[in-house]
Amino acid sequence: MSRSTISVPDLRLLLLAVLGLLLAGCGPTKVVVEGNFPSPLIEPLPMKLGIWYPETFSGHEFFDEAKTRSDSSWIVQTGAAQVAMWDTLLEGMFVETIHMKGEPGPEQMNQLVDAVLIPEVDELQYAIPAHTNVKVYEIWMRYRFKLVTSGGEPIGDWTMTAYGKTPTAFLQSDQAAVNLAAVMALRDAGANFATNFTRVPQVQVFLDERGIVPLESGL
Amino acid sequence: MRAVPRLLRLATVLLAGLSTAACVTSTVDEMVFNEPVEGIGDSTVVILGRRHAADYETEPDFIQCVGDHISSRDRSITVIGELEFVNSLYPWFEPRTAPLHPQNIDRLLLQEPVAERMAELKTEYMIWIDGKTERSDSMGSMTCGIGPGGAGCFGFGTWSDDSDYEAVIWDFTDRAEVGRVNTTASGQSYMPAVVVPIPIIAPVQGTACDGIGDQLLEFLSSEY
Repeated sequence: MSRSTISVPDLRLLLLAVLGLLLAGCGPTKVVVEGNFPSPLIEPLPMKLGIWYPETFSGHEFFDEAKTRSDSSWIVQTGAAQVAMWDTLLEGMFVETIHMKGEPGPEQMNQLVDAVLIPEVDELQYAIPAHTNVKVYEIWMRYRFKLVTSGGEPIGDWTMTAYGKTPTAFLQSDQAAVNLAAVMALRDAGANFATNFTRVPQVQVFLDERGIVPLESGL
Repeated sequence: MRAVPRLLRLATVLLAGLSTAACVTSTVDEMVFNEPVEGIGDSTVVILGRRHAADYETEPDFIQCVGDHISSRDRSITVIGELEFVNSLYPWFEPRTAPLHPQNIDRLLLQEPVAERMAELKTEYMIWIDGKTERSDSMGSMTCGIGPGGAGCFGFGTWSDDSDYEAVIWDFTDRAEVGRVNTTASGQSYMPAVVVPIPIIAPVQGTACDGIGDQLLEFLSSEY
């Protein structure tokens, strides 16, 4: 009759694996935002726009620590979706867009463009039914945009808000609903930017100086 | 031992009674400003949900249901899918930018790419649906257990659903509102559980969908 035995190192490994699994079970709820973003149906502005995404933007994530033991912590990673949405939007809004090789500045050798747009997520907040007792998932974002020359000299600086929500009715999990709310917020950000970019006073001055005439847009 | 068959018989009677009770009451109001002359021919129609309210959203599945109802009753009508339309005209039909009045379409069509896309889509009617289905008056309780002999539930739950939707019909060619259809529906659903929970659902949203769909067919179809 054979008898199997577990050695002490094996037992230690087993305990570590169990502990790892237990800790993984207690980890934060993670959402990597994913979505498809349509190109804007808009007359492109006749200018060459440079784009520079700071690392805080292209790798943007939001962490919310659980307040109580029954709550779950949340990590919402929006960076990849932000880049996908803004690339699609800006490519449709301007006759030419170019990604900068480095952050615009006096010492930086960069491609020649009319202006460089630098977006940043100033703030992100979310609400799920567990927080609000309302059957709606919401994402609210505030962006800060800087428009600078390729040498880094400021042209304009302004903020813009975006909001997305989704009801619980047609989705299964909290993660899927938060993802869809984030996609809606990104679409809203794109719509807000596309319809209001030429109305930003500093941008208007810049376009006037360059003789760039935008078509009538917005409702 | 005779208690079990008696309990089952009682449950069967209860279920039979409740299945007839889970009914829906519905009303449909219609206001027509310009009588439709004939169907939309080879033009298309798009049905869109209003999403700009703070506390609710018109459900995408309700919009889909109304579209399916129309195209299944008259197969000659082409209903453009909501997401397809909104994506192909991005960003002009997002909650923040969608036109709230038919007169806004003129300003939208000032943009050449938008005018071209609209011409491609051949949209004759644009129908906006605003409203929601809400659950209220939930009552009852149910307990479920698991043991060596098996698992089961016992109890009773009931709730009511209320639908309230309004469809506003824009004639895209004339850029004018030509009619409004309002539908309300309410119904009581039940969930008795004797070992197994058996939901008896009142099809409130489906009834509202059929009501609004039938009225819209009068605008869109030459057969109604």
